[in-house]
Amino acid sequence: MAPKATILAACLLLVAALGSGVSGDGLVNEDVKRTVDLSSHLAKTTAEIVLSNQGNSGVQSFVLAVEADLAPHLAYIGATVKGNEEEDGTLALTSIQQTSIQGQSGEFYKVQLPSSLAAGAQLKVKVEMMFSHVLKPFPTHITQAERQLVVFQGNHYLFSPYPTRSQTTRVRLASKTAESYTKLGNPAKSDEVLEYGPFRDVAPFSEDTMKIHYENNSPFLTISSITRIIEVSHWGNIAVEETIDLRHTGANLKGPFSRYDYQRQSDSGISSVKSFKTILPASAQDVYYRDEIGNISTSHLQVLDDSVEVEVRPRFPLFGGWKTHYIIGYNLPSYEYLYTLGDQYALKMRLVDHVYDDQVIDSMTVKIILPEGARNIHVDTPYKIDRMPNQLHYTYLDTFGRPVLVATKNNLVEQHIQDVVVHYNFNKILMLQEPLLVVGAFYILFFTVIIYVRLDFAITKDPAAEVRMKVASITEQVLTLVNKRLGLYRHMDEVVNRYKQSRDTGALNSGRKTLEADHRALTNEISSLQARLKAEGSDLADKVGEVQKLDGQLKELVCRSSQEAERLVAGKVKKEAYIESEKTLISRRQELVGRIDSLLDAL
Amino acid sequence: MSVRFGDVTAAARCNDPEFKTHAHGERERERERLAHVTRGHRGQDNRSRAGTTARGSFYAGAGKAWHESDARAREQTPRTGQRAREMAEHHAASDGKHKASAGAGGSVHGSSRPGAAVGGGGGGGTGKGGLSGGLTQPAGWQSLLSFSILFLACLAGFSSRLFAVIRFESIIHEFDPWFNYRSTHHLTTNGFYEFLNWFDERAWYPLGRIVGGTVYPGLMVTAGLIHYVLNLLHITVHIRDVCVFLAPVFSGLTAISTFLLTRELWNQGAGLLAACFIAIVPGYISRSVAGSFDNEGIAIFALQFTYYLWVKSVKTGSVFWAIGCCLSYFYMVSAWGGYVFIINLIPLHVFALLLMQRYSRRVYIAYSTFYIVGLVLSMQIPFVGFQPIRTSEHMAAAGVFALLQAYALLQYLKDRLTRQEFQTLFFLGVSLAAGVVFLTVIYLTYTGVYVPLARAHYAKIHIPIIASVSEHQPTTWVSFFFDLHILVCTFPAGLWFCIKNINDERVFVALYAISAVYFAGVMVRLMLTLTPVVCMLSAVAFSSVFEHYMGDDTKREKPPAEDSSDEDDKRNSGNLYDKVKSIVTMLMLMLLMMFAVHCTWVTSNAYSSPSVVLASYNHDGTRNILDDFREAYYWLRQNTDEHVRVMSWWDYGYQIAGMANRTTLVDNNTWNNSHIALVSRSNVDYVLIIFGGVIGYSGDDINKFLWMVRIAEGEHPKDIRESDYFTPQGEFRVDKAGSPTLLNCLMYKMSYYRFGEMQLDFRTPPGFDRTRNAEIGNKDIKFKHLEEAFTSEHWLVRIYKVKNLDNREPLDHKLRSVVPRQKYTSKKVTAVGPFVSIAFPKTPRGCFVLSTRSVYCHRGAKKPENIHM
Repeated sequence: MAPKATILAACLLLVAALGSGVSGDGLVNEDVKRTVDLSSHLAKTTAEIVLSNQGNSGVQSFVLAVEADLAPHLAYIGATVKGNEEEDGTLALTSIQQTSIQGQSGEFYKVQLPSSLAAGAQLKVKVEMMFSHVLKPFPTHITQAERQLVVFQGNHYLFSPYPTRSQTTRVRLASKTAESYTKLGNPAKSDEVLEYGPFRDVAPFSEDTMKIHYENNSPFLTISSITRIIEVSHWGNIAVEETIDLRHTGANLKGPFSRYDYQRQSDSGISSVKSFKTILPASAQDVYYRDEIGNISTSHLQVLDDSVEVEVRPRFPLFGGWKTHYIIGYNLPSYEYLYTLGDQYALKMRLVDHVYDDQVIDSMTVKIILPEGARNIHVDTPYKIDRMPNQLHYTYLDTFGRPVLVATKNNLVEQHIQDVVVHYNFNKILMLQEPLLVVGAFYILFFTVIIYVRLDFAITKDPAAEVRMKVASITEQVLTLVNKRLGLYRHMDEVVNRYKQSRDTGALNSGRKTLEADHRALTNEISSLQARLKAEGSDLADKVGEVQKLDGQLKELVCRSSQEAERLVAGKVKKEAYIESEKTLISRRQELVGRIDSLLDAL
Repeated sequence: MSVRFGDVTAAARCNDPEFKTHAHGERERERERLAHVTRGHRGQDNRSRAGTTARGSFYAGAGKAWHESDARAREQTPRTGQRAREMAEHHAASDGKHKASAGAGGSVHGSSRPGAAVGGGGGGGTGKGGLSGGLTQPAGWQSLLSFSILFLACLAGFSSRLFAVIRFESIIHEFDPWFNYRSTHHLTTNGFYEFLNWFDERAWYPLGRIVGGTVYPGLMVTAGLIHYVLNLLHITVHIRDVCVFLAPVFSGLTAISTFLLTRELWNQGAGLLAACFIAIVPGYISRSVAGSFDNEGIAIFALQFTYYLWVKSVKTGSVFWAIGCCLSYFYMVSAWGGYVFIINLIPLHVFALLLMQRYSRRVYIAYSTFYIVGLVLSMQIPFVGFQPIRTSEHMAAAGVFALLQAYALLQYLKDRLTRQEFQTLFFLGVSLAAGVVFLTVIYLTYTGVYVPLARAHYAKIHIPIIASVSEHQPTTWVSFFFDLHILVCTFPAGLWFCIKNINDERVFVALYAISAVYFAGVMVRLMLTLTPVVCMLSAVAFSSVFEHYMGDDTKREKPPAEDSSDEDDKRNSGNLYDKVKSIVTMLMLMLLMMFAVHCTWVTSNAYSSPSVVLASYNHDGTRNILDDFREAYYWLRQNTDEHVRVMSWWDYGYQIAGMANRTTLVDNNTWNNSHIALVSRSNVDYVLIIFGGVIGYSGDDINKFLWMVRIAEGEHPKDIRESDYFTPQGEFRVDKAGSPTLLNCLMYKMSYYRFGEMQLDFRTPPGFDRTRNAEIGNKDIKFKHLEEAFTSEHWLVRIYKVKNLDNREPLDHKLRSVVPRQKYTSKKVTAVGPFVSIAFPKTPRGCFVLSTRSVYCHRGAKKPENIHM
């Protein structure tokens, strides 16, 4: 304590010396109500300060101070002005800037007031600070059956560059059990609350160590690193993926882990983390929760009205010192987050989202992947983050890469769940690029196939195959012609039938004539084809010749049947006789047709 | 084959009455085909002559054909087609008119042109006629139909393998695939050369493993290449998904290559059937479901494709196809130890062809090219190295090569020498060749390597680790039927068809079938090599039957009902024939349908469990997922030091390396028996055991314990006796009546530590083991050197930490009686005993090569002597 006291003295001296510098503003903390909330693994301090200007002139800003011991752990600092009754709600202070005051250790933040505080006037300010990793487990190693005890070291007083007239400090613990606590001013302890003070007329920069050793079994989960990737697609989807490294930063587990005890005794491993809830946006779809070795099957998803709740249960319960790693991802419809005006787009998304209540993130990397061709990118962040150089990302159907905004920040808490706005320009024509690429690829594919099939790439000719193909094509023609010729006979039958009804000899003769003509033409054609077949050396020519022969007989039959019909019409034959002869003719015809058919099949 | 000969010129040419030139064979085949074609017509003629079908119906057939050709003509020549269509329309219209005036026209006209009625039946008939008309020609329709059937077969094959992905997730299955996945991952992250030089210190502690030189890299390279190409196209697929879906994709390719091969052997229809069979047959699916990222998945494709190219090169005798065959063979060598099957089957084929006097220049070109180029290519694989010229299992190929050269030389000399000279030379050559072959065979048999049966028996008797793997058991009839269903009954018919109409390539398939059946009988896992040939031959059988009973229908429609009434009896017999036809067809279709149902059922129920994730079903049908393996592995991965050594039974070595990324003592690469036997005597940090007593999982370490004892006994018969672990009655019991040696051994203690306090339900006493249905005998278990580090939710995996003792007890150099008990007395490796490096590359035919190898003593790997301290 001795060195600390000397520092304190030195500080006081310095303050006195610099009196004109800092407290020259004439600001005084009239009344301070401090609350230190230690019920979780974070230390949240809230101070309601009545600030009065006892100087001569109006003041535009005031300074908030953080103790040197706690400053590295400070995750969040915020101040709000409590308005008067007629004004509604609170006013967020415009800006908080880090400043330094010479000769003082610790960090200082200058708060700009919305309007100047006139001399003699008073202002109610609420200052909120969050500290991470300030609750140290003690003992540092516990067994599965033991409870977790932690130590908090803080300040009994409000650390402020201004003198304080009166203040109280209320400490909220996680449980009733407190091993020890500093007894400055005889604090009153009821259940989980410790009340210090009131302390009167405290000098600026006064520090007095407050040390509390108490039981805290709340989950000491820390996200040691998180990578959040937001991928925007103009086709209506925003994909979010978070890769999370989680660690239990409470007292380490000592000795064995007994599953039996863990399952059978309710207070076994009380400080361990079995599961926690992650709240995703209400429109989140296709949620996945996995790690390097696959899906983590122990999770549950609950869709609520205003959110989607994932019960994230790591593969194994997390004891002190144990860690795990997982990936959670989901899709969002872009219309809720992407705003557009002509070619201008604005993406408004949370920079960091909820992982679990009272979350602590040691290090965060955010990557926002914009569509290919996004230009004039401009980012509005709610708080200061470190931008890294932009990267390029290639995924499906990309040609020149999507721009990726990368930013990192350390030590984040729940209060950092705020929206970031990314403005960019995007030419809508570029939307066509991807479908055109697909179309082009298929076009090339089909075109290549067409080219390959149509053209002959053989470097040697195969005469046998060529002959075979030639013969096949000739045979094909022969088949067509023969079939057509058979059709002619059928047509002739029609003519004969019609003639039998109409008794129009002229029609019959003309039909016969056309038959003769067509038949001759076809027969000639077939004979020429037969000659060509012969020339190719195919033995099929003989078969064609046979077909020709049979066809001649067939044609004769057809002619005879038409003659018979003529004779019937002329009354030269009896109907019965005609039917008889017609029957024999038809049967012979059928036989011939059958033979031709079988020959054709053999071709 | 000596059934048909008698070509005098051919016989004279080679002093052998049974010799038949290939040209003759060709002619014979051609004649046969013609006979086959005409037989159908002859049959029809007979039928019509017997009056089975009324002449009207015959005419109807012609008319139908006419209509078909009408449609065809329409397609081909637009100009004449126009006319033909006009004619057809005219015809139909007149026919309609005719029907209206049927009374006037009389029955004569009606019966004289039933064909017209068919034509007038409507456009649908014509359209169908067009389709079947197209089918009778090798034209567009046929190729479109084949293409779509093939495509659908591939699709069916792909999608029926996705049960596991849909039910569970996209995850690597089982044990070996985890190693493959891990090495593929290494390949994709570090590049090809790094992969080849990868010394994996996570395996076989303290020896390590040179992965690049001890794996068949084909699988990893294939997956890595696909991943690389996809990423080059900016298709950002994770390597895991590539690995998971590789086997289903390759099964599609297998279907295509089977189609090609069967088409070469029989015809296109059989090819399509074979493709459909292989796409869904369980015998192949068992090794190629999505997630089963194993060599077999791609090897069967390579096997079939190599055979296709071989058949093609034998048929054409072109160097082009032979080189293609070599490249495919190279891929097969790089993918699977089963390449030995190819390098023995192809020489066997050539040898058989020589014996059958079917030698031709084509065979000579094909085999010479294949052997030389294939040999050189296969030696490029580091793992294979010089084996193709050193080990006896490759000697058959060399012998046949020499024989073929000698034979070809004789053929060459024959023309240049006098008859007398030639005869002398011939006898000399023949006796020399016979001697060489004889000696080779004797040598191969003597070394006990070439005869797989001997090997399998040897392995089973002498090497407990081989016998401990369930897939090395002989195949039962049940599993034949389970994996092949109806195909196992039909494929002998296909084989018979092939042998009946033998030619060069059918000799090949017959040999393939016979050898594969034999191997499949020896070992369950070799069902895999049998499956493709069964599919092909069954397809041949089915195709022949269908051709016989359905083939006519495509050409001739059934007679319409307008037969004249006086031919009633004849029509009846016609109907009988039709009935038989339709009954047979229906029966066949029923069989095929049942086959498809069976395949789907088997795939869904038997072969689609990842075995990394277990699922149990409640009474109401909801599913519980037991994810204990991954829970424990992931705990190891996240919450232990990166360099800790984990001891477990060898099954889990690959999974620990893959999922937990920690060093293991032994894994599934069962190359070193003594190392596995000495699992216990090493310096380890964690011990991992599988315990199924809580949920009733039967594959746990207590049940495998006897194998551990047997393996240890095999290596150290003086120290460990299997009989110690049995009760006097010869039972293996875990309850109070069990052998005291068992009840106090470390494996028992680790499994049941604190289990004695646990009451699973109210009907059973505490410490009731659900797997073995017994209350455990030793409930008071205390450890001196171990502490429980982690137990998964359902107690399936238990991990113990070996305590670091400040003052170690003096080392006991005497080998203790119980292997696992040694775990807590020895902290450092003590005497390991004779280091017998026996390599057991898993070859598909169960050929375990017994050879002392020094692969592991290269480079960074410590020499065996060094590790024994």
